[in-house]
This record gives sequence, structure tokens and C-alpha cells, in this order.
Amino acid sequence: MKKLAQPIILLILLIITTSCNNNSNEVVVYTSVDQIFSEPILKEFEKKTGIRVKAVYDTEETKSTGVLNRLIAEKENPQCDLFWSGDPVRTIVLKNRGITLPYQSTIAKDINVIFKDSEYHWTGFSARARVLIYNKNLLKGADVPKSIFDLTKKEHKGKVAIANPLFGTTTFHMAALFTAIGDEKAKQFLTDLKKNDIVIATSNGDVKKRVIQGEVSCGLTDTDDAYEAIKEGANIGIVFLDQQGIGSLIMPNTVNLIKNSRNLENGKKLMDYLLSKETEAKLAKSCAQMPLHKGVKIPNNIPSLDNIIPMKIEYGKTSQKLEEIQNYLKEWIEN
Amino acid sequence: MDRKLTEQPLYTIMFLSFLFFIVIPIIFTIGTALFVDGSLSDNLHLLDIETLLLLTKSSIIAFVVALFSTTFGTALGFWLYKTTVIFRGFFKIALLIPLFISPYILAVAWKDFFFYTFNNISIISSYMGVILVLTTIFTPLSMLIIGSALSNINSQLEETGLVLTSFRNIILKIILPLIKPALISSFVLVFIFTVSEFSVPAYFGVKVFTTEIFTQFSAFYNHSLAILQSALLILICVLLLFAERKHIADAPFLSIGGKGTSRKFYSLKNWGMLSQLFIFNWFFISVVFPFIILFVQSFKSGTTKFIQAFELLIPTFSNSIGLAFVGALIIVFVGFTAAYHTASKIETKMKKSFDWLLLIVFAIPSTIFGISLIKFYNQPIFDFIYSSYAIILIGYVGKFSFISAKLIGNAIKQIPNSLDEAAQIQGVTSFSRLQKILIPLILPTLFVAFIISFLFSLGELGTTIMLYPPGTEIMPIKVFTIMANAPQTLTSSMTLIVFSITLLIITSFYFLAKPFIKNYNYNND
Repeated sequence: MKKLAQPIILLILLIITTSCNNNSNEVVVYTSVDQIFSEPILKEFEKKTGIRVKAVYDTEETKSTGVLNRLIAEKENPQCDLFWSGDPVRTIVLKNRGITLPYQSTIAKDINVIFKDSEYHWTGFSARARVLIYNKNLLKGADVPKSIFDLTKKEHKGKVAIANPLFGTTTFHMAALFTAIGDEKAKQFLTDLKKNDIVIATSNGDVKKRVIQGEVSCGLTDTDDAYEAIKEGANIGIVFLDQQGIGSLIMPNTVNLIKNSRNLENGKKLMDYLLSKETEAKLAKSCAQMPLHKGVKIPNNIPSLDNIIPMKIEYGKTSQKLEEIQNYLKEWIEN
Repeated sequence: MDRKLTEQPLYTIMFLSFLFFIVIPIIFTIGTALFVDGSLSDNLHLLDIETLLLLTKSSIIAFVVALFSTTFGTALGFWLYKTTVIFRGFFKIALLIPLFISPYILAVAWKDFFFYTFNNISIISSYMGVILVLTTIFTPLSMLIIGSALSNINSQLEETGLVLTSFRNIILKIILPLIKPALISSFVLVFIFTVSEFSVPAYFGVKVFTTEIFTQFSAFYNHSLAILQSALLILICVLLLFAERKHIADAPFLSIGGKGTSRKFYSLKNWGMLSQLFIFNWFFISVVFPFIILFVQSFKSGTTKFIQAFELLIPTFSNSIGLAFVGALIIVFVGFTAAYHTASKIETKMKKSFDWLLLIVFAIPSTIFGISLIKFYNQPIFDFIYSSYAIILIGYVGKFSFISAKLIGNAIKQIPNSLDEAAQIQGVTSFSRLQKILIPLILPTLFVAFIISFLFSLGELGTTIMLYPPGTEIMPIKVFTIMANAPQTLTSSMTLIVFSITLLIITSFYFLAKPFIKNYNYNND
């Protein structure tokens, strides 16, 4: 027994030593933004401020199961100081569950109020848009859809892909559509899509892949996926849909503080950094995100929000609509 | 407390630790979800006929995969463990590779293969695809279980049979009945692994019971219903394992080594070519194809992305390998303690309970297990566990101790009682008997249990992604989180690196284990 006692004691000491992390010069961030884009920004913050960033990454490919469920499960004893989300939906879920803490950042003063929560539980920055991507070998000129409603036309039967509408930005897109055109028309549109044999992919990344490979001729995805594909040399085109009609859905990244977090001050510093023009410029360069601040230098190939007709929605109300239509969407997929 | 328990302090400590650190969190979460949050009353009506049909569908898929894996595993096990086919040592190791690669990664490789080869993915994005990919993943497990059982058949039985009857009759009347418990064990284990598998059906867009649980978790954030649905899954797995226990309580399972029995090898003559062809094709389909796809995609535009992938993964190596190493040590220790006392003659109330606890935790879906640990440990009093690597180790130990205990338990059962009894008569203490007789005899099995636990822990994703402490870099998580939106070449490069590292580790362990096993066999001869 004595021989066994030594390694057991050593193991316990090792565990206790590794768990001593009462370091106040740190900030814990959970993010659903793809690690390949979010990590360099967080590293830069670390370098500039000397505050150690401890991150938990997740991805839209996994529907952000990890971070969001973790934040909900940790509600009573939060480990996270700040949540950086790729879209407003997840943040609003947290707000509705009383997990967020209001903070009005002065850095975000010039960001349009429509991209902020009315009580400052979250603030938006760098936005993506929902776009249509098409395979240039399969669709040309007038054949390329200009409106989301064109996707129900016979010539596109079985040739259009969207990601599973129960998750991620596609859910939000559907909720926005219901808000913009009303429940009845939106349901009719989805029924027509189903009749037109729409392909339901597992994620936006999967939509991108299917379009590039030519399995389908076009699909709905986000601007970052679309520009990433072009950067990789894919022969695809991008269309901002419904510029003569209801407009394209614009989805900002959002950031919020977590209620009862341990490093509140550092959390605020990181939130200010994420909301800065500097971060927006970096995200524009790395993943084609469109700045919400005025006067941010962006690469020439990145579109400006000034040139896009946005879908006129309120993010809070759209999130509420999302909760209402989720059961309908589940049935739509399954039947 | 039971007097017999106080005579076994190590076992008692281990049992109570497992109960406290792993089982109570699960009971706490499921109990809270079902009874305190009102899930049972609120959600019971949601467990309608459709849910049950979905569960049936998942069970049918699991049944088919288990059947195919056990059938192919039997053929491969027989050829590699009972015949003199060439390169059998190499194939025994090489064919295990798919078992230790993330199923998601293999699914991606298979889908790409179908697209580039047939320009059509509708065949693979279906039930057929799920069955195909999962069969290639779990056949090595069946091969290992059945091959080990075949190795342990006493050659005297076969040789006597050969004198009296045909080879066909020996297979049907001697070998198959003798390995029946291993066949059942293989079927049950593969069934459980398949019915709980999420990533492959999700990637192929096939709706099964686990994807429904995932939807409740991730789209509706309805933890209570997800837990309630998981309880159904756990119930099926436990019933199946219970049936297995009832019928083959003392069956050999995944046992390694001969332990005193001499082995009979067959020369295949006319069937030799055919079996060699089958083995080679299986190796090509399950290992070489995915490897080629990943290789081509990784290097199609030079080596830049491969180097970038390597740089991204470097910070994860020490953490991941270190954690898997410590995890495997603890898993083997827990497995050994549980197995030793289950095999012992001392009857205590806890004896069977430990076995059942290991089994129930094994049957719980990863996400539910992760959430259970968060809800229990995320309290100020347990911060030293929750915010450290300890939480990941608890996850590994909970998930993989069952396999380790089964593996070691059957090795212990094969040691003749006479050895222990002789030493007992000589007045050797129980600790000395353990140290000088039992452990040396089962050393190869302990080593294999360690390797398997190490590799499973190294690739674990489902629970770890819910638990890893902020700021920590773990290999499978990094691959998974970088995969989204990264260029295909980078994703493939990362996968290829993980694939190669796993291969390297399996090979290193094989060469490390070789002298142990040789020495062990020599001592037994």
C-alpha cells in the first residue's frame, strides 16, 4: 500500500497545482466564431494589453453546442467573462435566460443603434450577409437567381442547397424572412422550396462545398464562407439577393459580458477591443466581414454595407420569431 | 460498513471515488432534469410514437452495423489469428487504425472519395453510407475481440476434432460454439457504439435518435427533454448488456495472450488466396483509401498548408499526449481494481455494483455525460477540479474504464486458480500474490488495456469539447474547431497529421510491447 500511496499523492498534488489559476490578469472568452478567424484577434489583444486570454472555441459546424450549452449549464457559477458570437441569435438566447450583463461601450458609439440591444446586453460589430453562391460552370447570366423566391422556380429543381434551418445563421435567415414577409407567405415559400427538392446540407460550409463541387448549382450561405471559397480559387459567384425587394439579411457579430463573471474589468477591455475599428479592419481582411463603424479601411473586394439594401428587421423581435417557428421548421425538415 | 470491505481498502476507496466523482454527477443531473425541473411531467408526452419509431430506426441501423462488423471481424479474426496468412502481424496492427480515428474525419474522407470517384454522393449520404462507414470503423473492434477469443482456444480440442471430422465441422461444431460469447460481446459492444454515434449520421444528413437528442440540445436548448431521450438510449444499452451478462457471464472478452494454452494454426491451402485478397482489400478500403484522399487533398497545392497545419497543432501535442497518458494510467488502475475484485471469491454487495456502474456510465451519450459533469462540478467548492485538467481526466475515466475492466477481467479469469491457491498455502500475503503472481501474468493485457485507453482518450471529442478548461489546447478539439471555414487543404493536412500521429503511436506501442509479450510467452512455454 505504501508503494501505491506515493503515486496517488503525487497525482493529487499535480491536479491541485494545475488547478491553482487565481490569476487576475486574465480574461475568459467563449466564442462561436471560427477559431481560424477569432484566435488571431484574441492573440493580438493579449499582445497589446498583457492580459492573458483564455479561450474556449466552438464552431458553427457543430452548431455551437459546446459553448452555448456550456454557458447555460454554468449559469449559477460562470467561468466565462465574455461571449463573442458570430450572430445575434445565441446572444439573445443568453439574454432571455438572464446570463448576460449590460455594458454600454463608448467605443461603439458610432455603430448604428439597430445593431445594439436596447438595454445594451449585447453590441454588434463586423457584419456578415446572407448571400447566394453559384457555380459559374453551371449557372450563367440571366439564369442566376436574383431573389430568394427565384429558388422555387422549376429550372432550379433539386439544384439548390441550404443548411439545416434549425441551426446557426440559416435559422436566423428563416426567422428574418417570416418577420419580413409574414408567416403565411414564408410558409408558402418553404413549402414551394420543399416541392422543388431543395437539398438540406449539414452546415453553411457544407453548402459551400456542394456548390463548389457542382453537386448543386447554387446555395444560400454567409459572406465569409463565400469569400473564403473564392480565396481558395473556387469558380463561384456571389449574389446579394433581393436588392430590388426585401433586401439581404445582415448579421453582425455580437459581444456581451456574462453576469457575475470573475474578471469583469478585463472583460470590458476585451469587449472594447473587439468593438474597435482595428478589429473590424482585421475581420474584413481575414474573413470578408463588413465593418459597422464608419471609415474603416477594407480591402477593395469586400462589399460595403453602404452599397447593400438590408432586410429591415429588428434583431430582438426576429429572435422572438425564431422561437415561435422552430417547431414548424423541424416539421418542415422532417416531412 | 461490511467487514469484508474494510479488508479491501484500495477497492473500497476506488469504488467510492468512482461513485462520487463520476456516478453521482450523472444521477444528480438526470434526477434534477427529470424530477426537480419537471421534465418528466412536462416532456413525457413528447416521447410519442415518432420518437419510438426513430429509436427503432437507430436500433435497426445499429443492428445491421453490429451484424456486419461481427461477421467481417470473425473472418478477419480467424485469418489473422488462426491461420498462417502472410503479413498477419502487420495487418493485426494496421487494420486497427480506423478504430482510433475520429468517425467524423473518416466520414469526410469517404464522402470526398465517393464524390471524386463516382461524381455522386447520394449513395454515401444515406443509411447505406452510415452503415458502410460505421462498419469499417467498428470491424477492427470485432476482429480484436473475436481474434483474441480464437487465440485462446485450446489446440487439443481442435486437433482431436481434426482426427475425427472435417475442417468445416471443426469450424461449425468446435470453434464457433467456443467463441460464441466473444461473438455476442462483439455484437453488443458494436451495437452500443453505433446507437450512440452522432457525428457520422449527422454529417451524412441521416436522422437518427442521437441527432434528435442533439437537436433538442442545440436548437431548442431543451436539456431536460434531451436527457429524458438519452435515458431511453441508456435503458436500451443497459438491457442489452444485462442480457449479455445473463447469458455469457463468464465468457472471455477481449482477452490478450495465450495464458498457458498452446495455439493451433491452420494452413488455408485453396482458400489462402481468397482470404489474402479479402484482407488486402479490407486494408485498402478501410485504411488506404481515406489516407490517399487526405494525402492528395493535403498536398495538391504544395506543402505550405501542411506546414501551417503542423504549426497549429504543435501546441496541442504535449497537452493531449500527457492527458491521454495520465488518463490511460488511471483507467487501467480503475479497470484492474474493478476486475480483480469482480474475479475474486470474496462476496460483497459492492462487487457487482462496480461492474454495473462502469457499464452504465459507458452507455451514456458523450454530451449528456459532459453536461452532467458541468452541472455537478461547476460550483465554487469544486473549482479546483472544474477549472483544471482533472475534469478532462474524470471524463476519460468515466467513458473508458468499462472497456479496461472487461479486458483485464477476462485475463484474470484465465489464470489458473491453482497458482494462487499454492501460494496461499505457502502463507504468501495477498499483496505479494498480487505483485508476484497475478500482475506479471497479466502484464501484456495491462499493457494492451493501457494502449487502447490511451488511444481512445487521445481521440475523445464529444465529452472533452464540453469540458476543456479555457485556454487549453487539445488536439481533437483544435482539429474540429479549425475545420470550419479553413481551406480544404488545411483541414485535410490537420487530419493527415492526426492520422499519422495515431499510426506512429500505435507502431511505437507495438514495438514497446513486443519484448514484454515475447518474454511473457517464453515464461509460459
